[in-house]
Amino acid sequence: MSTDVFGALADPTRRGLLSAISRHPATATELAGGLPISRQAVVKHLGALTDAGLLERERAGREVRYRVTPEPLSDAVSWMAHVGAQWDDRLAALERAFTR
Amino acid sequence: MTDQESAMTDEIERELLLPAPPQQVWEVVTAPGFLAEEVELELFPGGDARFGDGDAERTGWVEEAVPPGADENARLSFWWSTDGEPASRVELTLEPEAEADGCTRLRVLEARPLEVLDITGIPLPGTGGGAPHGPSMLALA
Repeated sequence: MSTDVFGALADPTRRGLLSAISRHPATATELAGGLPISRQAVVKHLGALTDAGLLERERAGREVRYRVTPEPLSDAVSWMAHVGAQWDDRLAALERAFTR
Repeated sequence: MTDQESAMTDEIERELLLPAPPQQVWEVVTAPGFLAEEVELELFPGGDARFGDGDAERTGWVEEAVPPGADENARLSFWWSTDGEPASRVELTLEPEAEADGCTRLRVLEARPLEVLDITGIPLPGTGGGAPHGPSMLALA
């Protein structure tokens, strides 16, 4: 559901991880190296992003490497963010018009 | 992979409770100013729709228009698209609020073709004007 995607993106750390992975696929260890949080915490965030369908896992030796899910999905995310924001604006204006 | 399926749902859902009866809400949401600055809507199945916001224009067509007053909830569904972009389907439902007299619950649903059409196997509608359109014919059937 779209709420999974937005829930997954509601956290700034997860947005940062997603953005880093979109530049270059990486393992949890590599990602944790540049962050002030534990590898375990990174794994948890990556799990949430994966559950939301934003990332996919691939084997990299003994580790798992994460990459951004190919096109249609990221396209879906941007569509939902863009169109959702338009409706928020329209409904906010409508509410103001009726409660004035 | 089920995770992927759920994330593929390209659908926006919103809900708003308004302190006015459905008739009044209907007039406002179908008039210029809500869906776009400029709105031209032919409120019957297959009717043309045009929406303008400054330089941006969207065109489309009405799938179904049920004004308030019928036994069922008032609703308006239409398709719109910007030139060259895939069309999406919008459905507005106006439900009299049982808890609060004279209030209306407005529900908004916008969905992209993948979600709506793949299920029924209807070919995707073309963008821009032109009639007749498959899904509207189906809605009439």
